[in-house]
Amino acid sequence: MATISFDLVSPENLIFNDEVGMIIVPGKDGDFGVLPGHSKVMSSLRPGRVMVYGEDKNLLKAFFVSGGFAEVNPEKCIVLAESVDEINSLEKSSIEKEIQNLENQDTETAKEQLTISKAKLESLSSTFYEKI
Amino acid sequence: MPSLKDIKTQINSVGSTKKITSAMKMVAASKLRRSQEKAEAARPYSSRLEEMLASLASSASSGEGIIKLLTGTGNDQNYIVVPVSADRGLCGGFNSSINRETFKLVKSLEGEGKNVQIMPVGKKSRDFFNRVMKDQITESFVDLNISNTGYESALQVSNKLQELYFDGKFDKCILIFNKFKSAISQEVTQQQLIPLDVSDSSKEDSVDDSTVKAIYDYEPDEETILKDLLPKNVSIQIFKVLLESDAGEHGARMAAMDNATRNAGEMIDSLTLKYNRTRQAFITKELIEIISGAESI
Repeated sequence: MATISFDLVSPENLIFNDEVGMIIVPGKDGDFGVLPGHSKVMSSLRPGRVMVYGEDKNLLKAFFVSGGFAEVNPEKCIVLAESVDEINSLEKSSIEKEIQNLENQDTETAKEQLTISKAKLESLSSTFYEKI
Repeated sequence: MPSLKDIKTQINSVGSTKKITSAMKMVAASKLRRSQEKAEAARPYSSRLEEMLASLASSASSGEGIIKLLTGTGNDQNYIVVPVSADRGLCGGFNSSINRETFKLVKSLEGEGKNVQIMPVGKKSRDFFNRVMKDQITESFVDLNISNTGYESALQVSNKLQELYFDGKFDKCILIFNKFKSAISQEVTQQQLIPLDVSDSSKEDSVDDSTVKAIYDYEPDEETILKDLLPKNVSIQIFKVLLESDAGEHGARMAAMDNATRNAGEMIDSLTLKYNRTRQAFITKELIEIISGAESI
């Protein structure tokens, strides 16, 4: 089966770069799946999960991104993320603590951070797309 | 004639200086490797971002709000100059060349009748401009420690710049920094950050620009993406510049310390020669005294 090359890049480094079978990306207007031969799309992202699947649709990796952009063309999918965490490395308790801290603050940045942290918590407990 | 003891002390002190400089050289070399890796790791992101911007930029018409980062304010009366230096010295001409270049640019802009503000990044340029142009400094950033804190510290600078820009405090922003060319050479570079100068990066692609634009689907739409992309680009450019400058600083320090170590070695050699000659002169003098004493008996 065909594969598509997938790059996940954060400002600090290149996190993922390989040929994969499918990717699900959290677009601003909704999640979308990218298969090999996808038409050209540029989209901005909301905080959420980027799911990477192998050729036989087995889940390879799941990442949390806090926002960014995706560029898709038939051979390649590039995700420019602001910050990236691997879902397995996230800890529920520390995120909950973070949310509690942020809820007490009243600045713009804290509010933004809060939406990101909440999305993080949500994507941690969500089991969508894990099996397809 | 200096006594033997004086020369001996001098040799010892030069020797310990040499030890320090060669240790600093080693530290700089290992730090250089790390920050060079970081600078290289950051490259894919900024180059991809530039590609995306280049294909989007053509669609932007003059407008209000964030688009102004691309199109400019329509004025060029107020400038802000951002010199990026190191926080610490002992790295050769690294800091002074930044300060000199900035000083020259500020003077020439003022000569054209523009208003110029300065926003130094790094202790060495802040201290310099605090002495010579204190009232033009709007804000300064020191101890950013880019290799440890990473992107966050670039955001600080970028947020402040954008805040000033949208308050209408300046029309053009120019960065002056040391571009990392190789471990031993840095190049003082000026880069216009705001409004964005896409003409260089997109020149090669300009032929197929129209086709790229025609084919891509945009989600939600071009303008929204552009609005997200532009502020990000400012931060990323600053981040890139800070990383380059950091790598350059270590490179410059390594070269400077290497020179200092070599000079100390030469100095020790010449002092040792002087020490031996002096000692020989004393021996000869004493021998003459003894011989002439014995002869006179």
